[in-house]
Amino acid sequence: MSVRIIIERAGPLCTIQDHGREGLLAHGISASGPMDRAAHRLAGALAGAAGEAGVELTRAGIALRVEQGRLRIGWAGGAFTVAINGEGQVWPGGATLAAGDRLSVTPGPRGNYGYLRFGPMLDLPMVMGSLSTSTRARLGGVEGRALAAGDVLGFVGEERAALSPSPIALQEGPIRFVWGLHAENFAADVRQRFVEATFRVTPMMDRMGVRLADEAGVFAGASILSLVSDPILPGDIQILGDGTPIVLMRDHQPTGGYPRIGTVISADLDRFAQMRAGDPVAFEPVSVEHAHRLLRSSLS
Amino acid sequence: MSGMDDSLWRRPHIMPLGDSALLVRFGTSLDDEANQATLTLAARLDAEPIFGVLEVVPSLVSVLLRYDPLQISPGHLAGEIALRLGQGNEAREPHVHDIAVVFDGVDLAEVAAALGLSENDFIAQHNAAPLRVLTTGFAPGFVYCGLHSEALVLPRRTQVRPSVPVGSVLFAAGQTAITATEVPTGWNVIGSTSFRNFVPQNDPPTRLQAGDLVRFVVAR
Repeated sequence: MSVRIIIERAGPLCTIQDHGREGLLAHGISASGPMDRAAHRLAGALAGAAGEAGVELTRAGIALRVEQGRLRIGWAGGAFTVAINGEGQVWPGGATLAAGDRLSVTPGPRGNYGYLRFGPMLDLPMVMGSLSTSTRARLGGVEGRALAAGDVLGFVGEERAALSPSPIALQEGPIRFVWGLHAENFAADVRQRFVEATFRVTPMMDRMGVRLADEAGVFAGASILSLVSDPILPGDIQILGDGTPIVLMRDHQPTGGYPRIGTVISADLDRFAQMRAGDPVAFEPVSVEHAHRLLRSSLS
Repeated sequence: MSGMDDSLWRRPHIMPLGDSALLVRFGTSLDDEANQATLTLAARLDAEPIFGVLEVVPSLVSVLLRYDPLQISPGHLAGEIALRLGQGNEAREPHVHDIAVVFDGVDLAEVAAALGLSENDFIAQHNAAPLRVLTTGFAPGFVYCGLHSEALVLPRRTQVRPSVPVGSVLFAAGQTAITATEVPTGWNVIGSTSFRNFVPQNDPPTRLQAGDLVRFVVAR
């Protein structure tokens, strides 16, 4: 019997995300994909997910009801509050739900993004090799838009055995970065202050980018004329004309001409994505080789 | 500069962009030779792929190579890139596209006046020579075509329009751009076209490729 769920409540900008639509930057299309990749993977393991796609939910959470059939759902990412039919559950975790059961995710103490993954595969059309939603480009997911109350999601295929992997270890400390394309365009003392100062995450954050407050005025007066456009990747730290630093995220513009002082390393981008408005953030430069060692150890 | 060895004349900078990409940059401002060198290298990388490279992205004056750090080190990759720089240019014959434009944009009169031309003279000069697709970027299927002669160079507008429709023909910075989705823009809107560069169901999803030639013609 086919399996169906209905979204009963969706916070703003809850989207469908899989590994992303990589390889299309030359067509002006950024890859999208989960803001917190490790959490997306963990939720998949907890669900015994046969497919790659799940729901990325935002701070306000989401609620759904199983309309037909049974399926296992896994959840992870940040720390949210989760209940099945009103009964509290452990986060991260997973459970099998049957027709009529309700799952509700509400705000919790930590993080911006949570993930729901499902045993069977989401039955949605592939767009350029991916189900990921880019609301910016209006591609993928459900009609290229965020999920809304009333949306019905269908599933196909059989779920796999759920795993119980170890949760993601909480990391603290500065966000590490590699000096960027235009680092040399910034005066030596500006670069020095950049790595010494503490910035603050602002509420102006979404899947395209996260704006930081530069309370120490590191970039005040360090204005750099706009540059020829170069390709952008997630993690690029761009300084706008008014001195505002912005870290570009998964739905980034594919090219841009603002100066980039650095790029957050892959191993720290998930953690950065989960930092909340008001959180302090400091940056620490590392070598590319060091970033690769961290990447290898995170995969082993 | 004809007669000079291209590989000496355009020795690029190879620099990391984060921990999973290298950028090969042929200049710090847009000029025709830097763009040509960019397209030549991208074509070479396409013809002779490097193991461990996940994606090659030619832009205005630089080529981005995304790589898998578990498969290739940046040092090794830079060496492989260098091997592909010194070689001669066996450029493919460019595809030529005729794109019909209705020159009715809201900024057309202002653009012509700023260049000291009548609207008809501006349109004639704009369409006089084929333009090269310099790159695709900014938004899906958004192409930059150029470069116009120095007599046809205007800056962007000071105000950004929050949205212009699909098929808008834009003009600024010595270039003509065509929108393939609804986008905000600070460029001058000079016209519109029924040409649709981005069709998500197609493979590849865009029709114009960097290096192609575009002839703009007045739509009848």
